[in-house]
Amino acid sequence: MSEFWQALAQGVLIGSTYGLLALGMGLVYGVSGIVNFAHGDFISLAMFMSLALFSAFALDPYVSALITIPVMALIGGLVYRYLLRPMAGHQFLMIVQLTLGLSLVIQNGILMVFGGQPARTPSIVESKLIILGDVVLRLPHLIAFVVAFAMAIGLYVMLRSTDFGRSIRAVHQNARAAALMGVDVGRVQVVTFAIGVGILAVAAALLLPGTPITPTQGLQYTVITLLVVVLGGMTNFVSIMLSGLVIGLSEAFGQIYVSDTLGRLVPYAIFVLIMLFRPQGLTWRTS
Amino acid sequence: MIGKGFYQTLASPWLWGVLAVAACLPLVLNSYHLHLLTLALVYVALASAWNIVGGMAGQISLAHSLFIGTGAMLSTALLLKFGINMWAGLVIAAAISGALGAMIAWIDFRFQLGHLSFVLITLAFAEMGAIIVEGWEFLGGASGLLLPRDTGDLLAFQFGGGHGAFWVMLGLAAIIVLVNVAILNAPLGYYLRTIRDNEKAAQAIGVNVLRHKITAMTISAVLTSIVGTCYVRYLTFADPYLLATPTITIEIVLFATVGGLGRPFGPALGALLLVPLGEVLRGQLGGAVPGLHYFIYGVVVIVVILATPRGLLPLAERAWRGLRRRGPEPRPASVS
Amino acid sequence: MLEVEGLVAGYGGTPMLRDVSVRLAAGEIVGLLGANNAGKTTLINCLSGIVQPMAGRIVFDGQDVTRATARERVELGIIQVPEGRLVFPEMSIRENLLLGGFCDRARPHRPAQMEKVLELFPRLKERLTQAAGTLSGGEQQMLAIGRGLMAEARILMLDEPSLGLSPLFVQYIFEIIDKLHKDGLTMLLVEQNLNLTLRHAQRCYVLERGQIAVEGDADIVKNDPRTRQAYLGL
Repeated sequence: MSEFWQALAQGVLIGSTYGLLALGMGLVYGVSGIVNFAHGDFISLAMFMSLALFSAFALDPYVSALITIPVMALIGGLVYRYLLRPMAGHQFLMIVQLTLGLSLVIQNGILMVFGGQPARTPSIVESKLIILGDVVLRLPHLIAFVVAFAMAIGLYVMLRSTDFGRSIRAVHQNARAAALMGVDVGRVQVVTFAIGVGILAVAAALLLPGTPITPTQGLQYTVITLLVVVLGGMTNFVSIMLSGLVIGLSEAFGQIYVSDTLGRLVPYAIFVLIMLFRPQGLTWRTS
Repeated sequence: MIGKGFYQTLASPWLWGVLAVAACLPLVLNSYHLHLLTLALVYVALASAWNIVGGMAGQISLAHSLFIGTGAMLSTALLLKFGINMWAGLVIAAAISGALGAMIAWIDFRFQLGHLSFVLITLAFAEMGAIIVEGWEFLGGASGLLLPRDTGDLLAFQFGGGHGAFWVMLGLAAIIVLVNVAILNAPLGYYLRTIRDNEKAAQAIGVNVLRHKITAMTISAVLTSIVGTCYVRYLTFADPYLLATPTITIEIVLFATVGGLGRPFGPALGALLLVPLGEVLRGQLGGAVPGLHYFIYGVVVIVVILATPRGLLPLAERAWRGLRRRGPEPRPASVS
Repeated sequence: MLEVEGLVAGYGGTPMLRDVSVRLAAGEIVGLLGANNAGKTTLINCLSGIVQPMAGRIVFDGQDVTRATARERVELGIIQVPEGRLVFPEMSIRENLLLGGFCDRARPHRPAQMEKVLELFPRLKERLTQAAGTLSGGEQQMLAIGRGLMAEARILMLDEPSLGLSPLFVQYIFEIIDKLHKDGLTMLLVEQNLNLTLRHAQRCYVLERGQIAVEGDADIVKNDPRTRQAYLGL
């Protein structure tokens, strides 16, 4: 039974970070209709930036996030402005290829700078454990859970009750009408992309302690994020966070109750089934 | 059935001239350059096979690593574990790939997946395939499988190293490009383009979308699987990370995009330009700067998509027409 | 107040509008009439800065705004209430109205302006937190007009406000238009409904295949045989 609680706890804690990763993608998809296949490589980039800051200044990843968040947001804004926006009006599929190309560039740029050996960015809290009865929790996971949900709630409140948040939702619901209200649609799209990439820097810091990183991991993160976003119905905030938990849990239970390798299949199998039978994801709303 | 464009291409002296010149290359090139060309031809074949689905029908399939992986890993495993002749292995793998392809096309149709959903589902299938190969000892697991040395025994699917492999790949690449030309000039080609441009409208005017999608995907999967088997024979080592992960599909998609999607020679052009470039970079600088060639692929893709979203082929064609009008001796190297 | 001179505009090279000149004086209701595809929507999209004209000049309050962006024109007070209403369906009425007053000029006065708008449309006041997508067509039209007023419009351009509404609602909307006119608001009324527009506008322009066919006081336009012709596309 303790195995069950252990898997449950681990799934929820990891899943919350997956949810955060997916919020960034969902936000961008909502206002620009772009699915960014370099998403995971942006996460890698943020992680390796933290590694560099650790090597140079011995900064803890939680601290270096203060630097990586604005830097990543800036990179995101530039990428959108100079690579993605010029594609507006072209076929959607070309953006898939463009971001795949971008993924190669980032992934191998990292490889060229840092080499291919797996690396770690240690944190002071890395090996701290919290024991609740039979269940052993790692402190970084707990921090990830708390921060991810705090971020999600913060974003939700921002979207609901600030003018900027409303302008983001306006562009999502009807870009033309938003333009007629004086919303600068292009600017909203750039800023949203920057926020989406900035969020990744937060998620990177949350994932880093205790996780080995390699330059080639990007695609896996992209795929996990896609799983969560699609499961969450692409743009619905609450269901994206829930889907993060679903994927986290299915991974954790799969690894414990099925075999390690085949357990990794479980999230994909769930994904395919949901894609096929409930393409609108876990959203309740019908509109 | 097949339009006269196909027979015109088939009767073109350029086609046979280029093939004849290419076939003589092993006699003059050193083994490194031959290796570069063989590798380029592998990707010409893969990108052209992918083009049938990804270019003509406009469906960005990221599932093709399944077919390459089946063609490579399964045929190797059958030979090593059960002693099944690799020719038979090739057929078995191709049949399984074809069935997988048909299944994916059926799912796509049955559930009316949009373009994006199709990309995502095929990516999920590809990831699942990679996990299965990695976790299943029969297919070599994470460490891969090693084929016996190539002694040139044709009956045992051995082509005698560099020269033989080059000729096999040349033939295979030429056949797949010609299959592209044939489909483009056949009713199937028209149907696929209608489906690409507007699937609902195609269905409304009575195009049998399901049948054509399945046909295209099955042809593409079978050809891809065959290339996979030949490729692994050339490599001798069945590396799961090279042959069964989505990365190889992404490379193929990018080559095809750079060359020009949907046209028979576009993907071939992209592969012929980028593969040797990448390999030379890797050979020269790979030790010092790992990843440089992929980095450059990525940059080329981004630049080409931003500068000429229809790929390099339209540019190449314009240059080719210009040359033909002006100079009496155009260089045949600019066709594939 | 607004002068349009020699406007040429369209999509993808083929002009929908050829040499169109229109004038609006302050406080006037001007009707813009014409059959489907005559170019009415293209004209007001040009005025809103969503379509860039190929030639011609747009002058607002003595200021050349031909090249101004959509946002800059909203800041100037040139406000469009689009055809089909285009409310933000998943937002509440209140949020839709707040977005109407998004521009810098209107933002500081939003609470007071919202009072006025809700006074004008008591029906919206009752359902302030209801999602706009769940409203009836007529209520959505009220919301769209209210949203335009939130921007403190100096010119309100209404694109087909009667489209798809029940006769009762059409009558109501036009009463509102008269009320706004009495308060001194300048309006450009784009309509297919000929008689209704001629009754409420002081002056009218009739567009026919991208050109002004008839213009002048409502009575004159009404009796001009070319008006009917333009409508029937003869």
